[in-house]
Amino acid sequence: MPYGPEAEMTQPMDDENSKADLATVREQWVGIEFDWTTFEMSAPSMVAWAEACGETDPRFTDPNHHDFQAHPGFTTHCMSGRVFPKEFPQIGGGFGIDGGKRVEVHAPIRSGETLTATTTIADIFEKTGRSGTMIFIVQRMEFRNEADDLVSTVDWKMIKKAE
Amino acid sequence: MSVTQIAKFEDLEIGDDLPEESPDVSMPKVMAFCQAAKHVFERFVDHEAARKEGFPAAIVPGIMSQGFLASMIHRWAPGCKILEIDTVFRGSLLVDSKITMTGAVTDTDEEALIVELDLAIIAEDGRTGVIGTARVQFER
Repeated sequence: MPYGPEAEMTQPMDDENSKADLATVREQWVGIEFDWTTFEMSAPSMVAWAEACGETDPRFTDPNHHDFQAHPGFTTHCMSGRVFPKEFPQIGGGFGIDGGKRVEVHAPIRSGETLTATTTIADIFEKTGRSGTMIFIVQRMEFRNEADDLVSTVDWKMIKKAE
Repeated sequence: MSVTQIAKFEDLEIGDDLPEESPDVSMPKVMAFCQAAKHVFERFVDHEAARKEGFPAAIVPGIMSQGFLASMIHRWAPGCKILEIDTVFRGSLLVDSKITMTGAVTDTDEEALIVELDLAIIAEDGRTGVIGTARVQFER
């Protein structure tokens, strides 16, 4: 059983009513900030993460290295307080599956920093493939350090089956 | 052509393959990752519980597979900076199985010293578990 979609999704959806509904949801919710959370960056967690991922570069595994920093995807485990905004409409069926993560590294994350993450709905769209029509909801978390520098952006693609 | 390590940007070409790697997805390693990620769900760390959820066995967390790919890039190009890594979780990768990571150079920006990579992780039974891309910056 997959935890991501096995189908290759390439064809546009034909159902005009569903398109209109999704268009309304997009218009109302894309770009809305709905969660603000802080995360402490600790050296032991950063090292344990990097080592479990098979990392051998001391920049990521040795806290005494002059350029010690978090592994590129380290912020992907930082979950917002809410998955969706309060009163976000029910679209698609079930709880959804994790379709993937995109991480943008803007600057090194150092141990001891407290990051503040702001969460938004970045996009909502649909695709149709062999598994039928699926709805993609992209949750974006932007992480800033104490100097308010953007250090990491994580896009989480949640996939739900269209009803 | 597959090159073990790239010392500088000028040494690579579009079409180059990264050396294939088979990362350790044994249960102790996955458990260690889940604890570091505070992501300890039964489907990742308990084969029997995962089967009850409908999986063939415990599955490797998607974010761990992304981490494996990042580590492979760092070994191929020591000192490089990963600017972006984008992964699509297409199918399950099983804990205690053999998985294989591949990568290839698909584009280069000679002024910015940035390369684009295609990435994939293949499950033991030949299915593609993860596909992805990365943008990587080399030092001047």
